[in-house]
Amino acid sequence: MSNADKHQSRDPIVEEEICLTLTELCHACSASEEFVIAWVFEGLLEPIGEAPEDWRFTGQSLYRARLAWSLTRDLEVNPPGVALALDLLDKISALEAQLHRVGVR
Amino acid sequence: MKFKDYYETFGVPRNATQDEIKHAYRKLARKYHPDVSKDPDAEARFKELGEAYAVLKDPEKRAAYDQMGSQWKAGQEFQPPPDWDAGFEFSGSDSGSGDGTDHSDFFEALFGRQARGTQRPGMHARGQDHHAKVLIDLEDAYFGVKRSISLRVPTLDAQGHVAMREHRIDVNIPKGIRAGQHLRLAGQGMPGLGEGSAGDLYLEIGFNPHRQFRVDGRDVYLDVPLAPWEAALGCSLDVPLPDGPVQLAVPAKSAAGRQLRLKSKGIPGNPPGDLYVVLGIALPPANTDSEKDAYRAMAKAFNFDARAHMKGNPS
Repeated sequence: MSNADKHQSRDPIVEEEICLTLTELCHACSASEEFVIAWVFEGLLEPIGEAPEDWRFTGQSLYRARLAWSLTRDLEVNPPGVALALDLLDKISALEAQLHRVGVR
Repeated sequence: MKFKDYYETFGVPRNATQDEIKHAYRKLARKYHPDVSKDPDAEARFKELGEAYAVLKDPEKRAAYDQMGSQWKAGQEFQPPPDWDAGFEFSGSDSGSGDGTDHSDFFEALFGRQARGTQRPGMHARGQDHHAKVLIDLEDAYFGVKRSISLRVPTLDAQGHVAMREHRIDVNIPKGIRAGQHLRLAGQGMPGLGEGSAGDLYLEIGFNPHRQFRVDGRDVYLDVPLAPWEAALGCSLDVPLPDGPVQLAVPAKSAAGRQLRLKSKGIPGNPPGDLYVVLGIALPPANTDSEKDAYRAMAKAFNFDARAHMKGNPS
């Protein structure tokens, strides 16, 4: 790789323009398939498709999966615990966004 | 190099049991986990916890660390005594809680940098994906922007040692990007092993805090204060928007808190966001006699009770 890579092509916006297979998702969030499958079972990730080999995850799932993996790895939280934590974090950010809209920083 | 007191990090005595250490680690790790904590130092604190735990949870490392004696104080100048680790063998590559952990000089002087993923001949694997964050201004989301970013990436040399290297990338951040979204830069992650392809770089976009605008998803909010007569009688204003000024007609009888929506003037996209002007009312101070007279004339002219809603309901 050169020192400063020219990057002229348009890079896709993950949340809008890409979807990932199970293998790609595991690679991008560093978690094993076993964990990702458990998170899908908990409803924490909702891929399109029936069998794991047909699953397609949205770009949004990548960041839920990364968060799930860091909680699993750092705090040894099990899949139901991770699902609960993510639900609560979602609620907190929704409340924060509401505060932000009315001007509380 | 400063000595680090790993027991102090957890607030446990030197003779704490492994369970006590684990308990203290868990408690503090939950408190300072960067994905959960709002503490501005969370990331640094969490890194310190991970490093301390990597040493104290491992009986071999803990025994070697303990062997240096208890006379050391945190922050004291420190050099590892010669042969301090004689008789100990640090097994495995489990050097911390996280992947890609970047430990302190103190840790590395004692336990060394541990190469992760030492290359075996004939082994091919795709490189790891990298994740980084870049901050842009709200205005950049209206027009798109070219940014040159510099990342420190760990690389493995021929001997399998980890070295940090500067990696500079020019990236086009497209118009319409929103805070919290990510760009995927194919092939800009870690190099692959053998003939494996390089990993990708995921770049999270954030906005620098703005003096005037607040952003919620694709919608943008702007507080605009009015004089009482502007709010009461209506007026026409020049409002500075991120993509240039617009004329705004404020209707008569506008109350504080009223929101005027400028359709499609939020962050561009499909659909574009809206821009909300949030009206406020600023009271002019009554300092001079003529200013005070003006307020007195208002009091006379209006049959106005600011607390009318509090009456008839004495509870």
